[in-house]
Amino acid sequence: MPAEKKLKFKLIDIVLLTLITAALVYIVYRIKVTIRYDWSWEIIPKYLFRFDKGKSRFVASTITLGFTMTIKLSIWGIILGTIIGLIMGILRVQSGLFARFAGRAYVELIRNIPPIVLVFIFYFFFSSQLLDHLGIEDAITTAGPGLKRFISIIFIEPKLLNEFFSAALSIALYEGAYITEIVRSGIESIPKGQWEAAHAIGLSRFSQFRHIILPQALKNVLPPLSGQFISTIKDSAIVSVISVPELSFQGMQVMASTYATFETWIVITLLYFMLTFSCSVIFGKLLRKMQTAD
Amino acid sequence: MHNKTLGETIIAVDSVSKTFDRNVKALQGVSLKVKQKEVVVIIGPSGSGKSTLLRCLNGLEETDSGAIVIDDTPLNEHHRNKLKIRTEVGMVFQNFNLFPHMTVRENIRTGPRFVRKASLEEADRTTEDLLARVGLTDKIESYPRQLSGGQQQRVAIARALAMNPLIMLFDEPTSALDPEMVGEVLEVMKNLAIEGMTMVVVTHEIGFAREVGDRIIFMDEGKIVEENSVENFFANPEKERTKLFLSKILENGGCE
Repeated sequence: MPAEKKLKFKLIDIVLLTLITAALVYIVYRIKVTIRYDWSWEIIPKYLFRFDKGKSRFVASTITLGFTMTIKLSIWGIILGTIIGLIMGILRVQSGLFARFAGRAYVELIRNIPPIVLVFIFYFFFSSQLLDHLGIEDAITTAGPGLKRFISIIFIEPKLLNEFFSAALSIALYEGAYITEIVRSGIESIPKGQWEAAHAIGLSRFSQFRHIILPQALKNVLPPLSGQFISTIKDSAIVSVISVPELSFQGMQVMASTYATFETWIVITLLYFMLTFSCSVIFGKLLRKMQTAD
Repeated sequence: MHNKTLGETIIAVDSVSKTFDRNVKALQGVSLKVKQKEVVVIIGPSGSGKSTLLRCLNGLEETDSGAIVIDDTPLNEHHRNKLKIRTEVGMVFQNFNLFPHMTVRENIRTGPRFVRKASLEEADRTTEDLLARVGLTDKIESYPRQLSGGQQQRVAIARALAMNPLIMLFDEPTSALDPEMVGEVLEVMKNLAIEGMTMVVVTHEIGFAREVGDRIIFMDEGKIVEENSVENFFANPEKERTKLFLSKILENGGCE
């Protein structure tokens, strides 16, 4: 690995920084004198935490609930998307016509329709129909309080389960298409000699994948894969259109009831940024650790 | 190795042809028989089809026509036959092709464990024995990238031997090595020949061919041009094409 380059301040940097700062100061000044906007930051805290009189302690409120919902959706999206991507990525490199076609068709279909359409398709055509017919909703409404509580913790409160499943599945399918391509490129990056050596010692096709190709391929694609995981967090905002109470949806709710547009969206932005930035720092650290480990 | 008794025919190749895409004729009606314990050296200019022939013998390349029979098992479309032949024929590659994410130990025991379904202890015992044979006992926990080319190739030989093969194929095993490392690999191969392993070796190492080979096959343009005993091949080759080739490589000191 090349040694890290030392940061150096050059004249051009100083000039540019000065210009940008001046521009920003000017813009803020213009906003202050021209736009009439009554800042009311004091309304924000109660949407983060509110005092519950029954429990006599502070509990999470609208925005915080949305924040945890976004995390839950992202985790499910990442888990399911990775499973889908792994399977489809492996299908993409098979020699069989059907397997190859299935993988290709999936990727092309998903990548060529807007994600919002995917979310609606899932919500209206699949989940609302399918879950009813499978009787899952009935089963859950009659379930005991223990099971209901469990479902609330790992998914969502039972009455919104349809929305949650549609949301998580459409996120997973959407991200899965990109993960498929990442996995495929990882497999294709492994030199032919590795396949041949695995073949020559008699490993079955499955074992060749399992023990020789995939471990190397996945290690090679960890950087783009972690990028895709972070994208999943951001992309999850799209499911606000089917009323899943995640961060963006909750933001709209707060905005509608308070009219504190700027304050709300500044808070929402900061929360998303906190989440994705800390993930990218953590992933970056892990990757560096793995690289220095070998 | 001129005083050993050879066994029954173990490799039978009958008029095998193979054409690659764009009409490159790699093999044109090649026939060949190899007996147990025999060491056959294949030489020839690059592009002559010698590597392709070798790769056909363990099913790495499929043939277009002709028949290959290994240890009485025909190499055909039957999956079970293909698998049996792959496990009975070991192969060593020019570029070693060790698994970089595995230690030397894991590289060697992968075959026994996942193909032969040997227990971990058993596979480890095999691994340690083989590493002792190729003189790399102290490298057992190293990763391939920590080894020199010669060491890597010796590990690759041990990995192929771990499957306890009947036949070993060597595809230019010393061509990618620095000159000072060629000797250690050839030494391991020579010992293997002395122990009675059936070997088919594609190489440019004339010294090795002379010393270890029982028979030399000279190939050009996808055909076997000359097949001869080691003594005759170098002393009085039959074909003009062979003489021309020999004069060229001997001029260059044995390396093409």
